[in-house]
Amino acid sequence: MFIGTEKLTHTYMPGTPFANEALKEVTFQLKKGEIALVIGPSGSGKSTLIQHLNGLLKPTSGQVLFEGRTVGSDKAELLKLRKRIGLVFQMPEEQFFSETVYDEVAFAPRNLGFAENEVQTSVTGALQEVGLDPDALLDRHPFQLSSGQKRLVALAAVLSFKPEVLILDEPTAGLDSFSRANLFNLLAVLNRNTGLTILICTHHLDEAAALAETVFVLKQGRLVLNGPTSEIFSKREQLHKLGLGLPAVTEIMYWLAEEGLDVRTDIYTLEGARQEINKLKGRQEK
Amino acid sequence: MSRSITLGQYFPGRSLIHRMNPRLKILSLLVVLALLFSLQTYPGLAGLLVIVLAMITTTRVPFRYFLKGLRPIFYIALFALVIYFFFTSGGVVLLRVGFITVESEGVREGIFVILRLVTLVLFSLLLTLTTTPLSLTYGLGYFLRPLRYIGLPTEEVAMIMAIALRFIPTLMEESQRLMRAQVSRGADFETGSIFRRAKSLVPLIVPLFVSAFRRADELALAMEARGYRIGALRTRMHEDTIAPRDWAVLAVVVAMLVASLTLGL
Repeated sequence: MFIGTEKLTHTYMPGTPFANEALKEVTFQLKKGEIALVIGPSGSGKSTLIQHLNGLLKPTSGQVLFEGRTVGSDKAELLKLRKRIGLVFQMPEEQFFSETVYDEVAFAPRNLGFAENEVQTSVTGALQEVGLDPDALLDRHPFQLSSGQKRLVALAAVLSFKPEVLILDEPTAGLDSFSRANLFNLLAVLNRNTGLTILICTHHLDEAAALAETVFVLKQGRLVLNGPTSEIFSKREQLHKLGLGLPAVTEIMYWLAEEGLDVRTDIYTLEGARQEINKLKGRQEK
Repeated sequence: MSRSITLGQYFPGRSLIHRMNPRLKILSLLVVLALLFSLQTYPGLAGLLVIVLAMITTTRVPFRYFLKGLRPIFYIALFALVIYFFFTSGGVVLLRVGFITVESEGVREGIFVILRLVTLVLFSLLLTLTTTPLSLTYGLGYFLRPLRYIGLPTEEVAMIMAIALRFIPTLMEESQRLMRAQVSRGADFETGSIFRRAKSLVPLIVPLFVSAFRRADELALAMEARGYRIGALRTRMHEDTIAPRDWAVLAVVVAMLVASLTLGL
């Protein structure tokens, strides 16, 4: 196991009338180099879970594991952990505070003890990784960029310290469909080229499902389903009961099957759907 | 993610005191305060102390919240005690140290004053612990209304206070989120010299200001879109209703005040 949790429970404001158990005995694990999704209705504990993976919250009970070891609360150890696990918050461009894109992206490497010449190469490297042109952007004010560019700069600000795990909380919230597709595509490329382990919390299943090997479903703080992507999305009734939808392609395949056509329903990519429909056509022509 | 942060002192509950109309609750408190200062005898004060303790029990607010509220007056009480013990004369001499004497009249009055102070704070806490800050604001705003006739924009002041109260938890939540986000980028808010720590707050304060201004902008737009105008008369979505039992409470405390004045308790 690379990273995961063991019976992780988290209660906000324990011992007050506002106490709220956000996670209940969640046990899950990620393999090195995989892309996984965390899905679940709002308030199901997704954000709480991923903040634990970065040591930002302390478990009420249970533990967070990284490379088979329990993550402690020692400060130096946490800093080491954060160097290896990058966390992109929801709406990460709201954290911007620097006057130039360079300083913004350089913030984390500087904090994490990179030498200034390393900082420089890591900043330009990270911007290139997200498909931005460093020469055109480095001296710009981050607030002047378009919202799509801002999101990419925010992503670069985390990639700049070369984490081995990238965790993203709703990375495409508030983006237009083009930027959304671009961002998911970028994550797929990063994973393929560098073996980066990626965990994504998202509501945009249409694009995200195609990337993921594994899906975790949270509901009211409990891990209610987990397994390979095709298996999870074949549990249509159960997902609907949980208040979750399917990727549009999967839903369409179900409709076709309900119309009596002989198609598979565990399809969650456009490419898979195209193949199934071609098979149908082939059979009809015979 | 609805993670409420305790603001002010409100402790949620469903007791009769929680549900009492905030305006009458404030008015009743004022009468009780007047009563407290009209009481001159131990039996009267003890009676009132028993009443407030009984009321506290019915609210189901844990007593430690009241103790926490009493803490700030500890030193004032101690100071008052010293003054009364050493500087009030009369009665039997209880203690003599050099030229300083403690006499029984001083002890009697000192303890009386402290009990009165404790009762006063307990009654005030009873109001603030069982009333949401928003109801409290609107309640106070109601009593300030007459000031409108001398040109004070009381409605607007109440609105400003209500908005400020509404956004304190939001901004607190936001600053917590920002802090975590910057910590995940390796920021350190806790170590280093004061100068270093002040500098390390920049990544927190700048985004907080940016979002506060954005929120203010959005709120202004939303309010105007719904027809908000300065100086216009407004109604509230949740008009607070005054139940007969609310009047009854006020009547009882007024009766107690009259009784204490006429009977000389």
